[in-house]
Amino acid sequence: MSTVAAVMALGLGGMETFNMQHGFVEAVIRGFRSGFLQDDTYHHLSQCETLEDIKLNLQETDYGQMLSNDANITPPIIESKALQKLVTEFFFLRAQSVEPLSTFLDYITYEYMIENVMLLLRGTLSGRNVNELMSQCHPLGMFKESTMRNIPSFEASPRGYAELYETVLVDTPVGVYFQRYLDQTSARVTAASEVRNVLEEIQIEILKNSLMKLYLEDFYDFCSAMGGETAEIMCALLRARADRNAINITLNSFGTPLNDPLMRETHRKTLYPSIGNLYPEGTDLLIKVDDDSKLVQAMNYYPVYRSIFDRFTNSSPEEFSIDDEFYKQEVKLFELAFESQMHFGVFYAYVKLKEQEIRNLVWISECILQRRKDQVGNFIPIFSRTEASRKH
Amino acid sequence: DNNIFSATIMSHYGTECTTYYCNKGWNEVISHLSPYSWANWGIAIGLGFSVVGAAWGIWLTGSSLVGAAVKAPRIRSKNLVSVIFCEATAIYGVILAIILLNKIGPPKDGYFSSTWNWGQFYFAGYSVFFSGCSVGFTNIASGISVGIAGSACALGDAQDDSLFVKILIVEIFASALGIFGIIVGIIQSNNAQFPVQ
Repeated sequence: MSTVAAVMALGLGGMETFNMQHGFVEAVIRGFRSGFLQDDTYHHLSQCETLEDIKLNLQETDYGQMLSNDANITPPIIESKALQKLVTEFFFLRAQSVEPLSTFLDYITYEYMIENVMLLLRGTLSGRNVNELMSQCHPLGMFKESTMRNIPSFEASPRGYAELYETVLVDTPVGVYFQRYLDQTSARVTAASEVRNVLEEIQIEILKNSLMKLYLEDFYDFCSAMGGETAEIMCALLRARADRNAINITLNSFGTPLNDPLMRETHRKTLYPSIGNLYPEGTDLLIKVDDDSKLVQAMNYYPVYRSIFDRFTNSSPEEFSIDDEFYKQEVKLFELAFESQMHFGVFYAYVKLKEQEIRNLVWISECILQRRKDQVGNFIPIFSRTEASRKH
Repeated sequence: DNNIFSATIMSHYGTECTTYYCNKGWNEVISHLSPYSWANWGIAIGLGFSVVGAAWGIWLTGSSLVGAAVKAPRIRSKNLVSVIFCEATAIYGVILAIILLNKIGPPKDGYFSSTWNWGQFYFAGYSVFFSGCSVGFTNIASGISVGIAGSACALGDAQDDSLFVKILIVEIFASALGIFGIIVGIIQSNNAQFPVQ
């Protein structure tokens, strides 16, 4: 709550005062916007025969010489180098920012911190090496190294999580979400349910989705407290994100014990975020869903998701998956965030769009590596001038 | 006796007032403010608010300009025009201040003679004050407006050069607001001249 107080004290500033504190940083990120790959670059990249050609093509773009030190290029190397560029830019912006923008940028990193914690916890279940896990952590969400090394040493049970929180995570920003999760589960954990949740994978999934739900709700409250244009734009983006999470939780639970009628009511219901257009009527519908067709029926009431599911059911599985359809919808929203000035939504949208661009690069390089040239066009263009949806 | 106010006040209130400052109402309080103070306040407000508006505008547009020039250095020189437009509002304030302060002068021999032109005295005081207000308030609005438009101009130019001239037209309209202020201010204070005897 101290962050909310800080926001109230310093203020975000309307049109006439925003630039005093945040003008430079916003202008820099708008400069970064011109670094996105253009249509003709994507065209050249999809025509490449080898990954060396990709490296040559990328040298003309904003990526420049990032691959020049690597002897042989593989898609994971492209991904990690591109991600490193994003991280450098992000931390430059973070260094130049003042409150409340610096807290906002921190909130963007909490999502990746949660992912890293889950990666380390899951990794210990499959018995992988700590060093290998740490090299796979997302660079935007790194903790202190000692903290990260301690995480795998805890067991994946509610008691283990409580110990993990008290000794390791309490000092980190995501400790707050852990604490709230433990408060929620301590009310429900009995000896019987511990025995029933013997499949630790379910427990990890529930943990991950609960942390994301708590994070999204906290971020939403923070943005609403800031008010003004930031609240309008960020709240819309976070609502779309929450809806996507709710639908994904439902989809991923088909075929797992989470889909049992009993578990749906007690466990799956608590994973749906309470922000979002689907809450509360849509999530009530989703609780009763237990297979694909019922999901499509339930989503019939929401025009945006109905059109997504229509496109998904009409296209073959080779073309676009449901994730891609959601990415396309989100890219549209994030591009719209750039349309107005003097708000913080551009920072969030930039990070997400850059991630999408990195996914595009990895997809193209994987297609070229595996000689699947027919599928190389299935990336999602960003700020494209020729995309069909932009021709009005 | 020679006190300036006794003549006006006594004539206004008859025999009710027995001293010079009897606080009969707001009329007395306001008319007791010397026209010299009105006039000099007017110059301060005119100049001060114009400069505040210009500074605010330069703050808004300069920060965006510096940030946008990081990735698009070609915009540096062209977009200084936005800063010049903001500066122009400060210049209007200075011009008006110099015009106005030439109208103020002390009475000859340092006291008000029996033939002192009270009407012209008060007229000049109020006229200079409100002329300064006209310019000050319009220029603060104009300065902020040019600043916000200039910031958008810098960011747009960094992405697409063809946008610069178009957004500059918006800025020209915004700085026209300051010109309205100074035109009205000069006309308002045209006939004002403090009497010298």
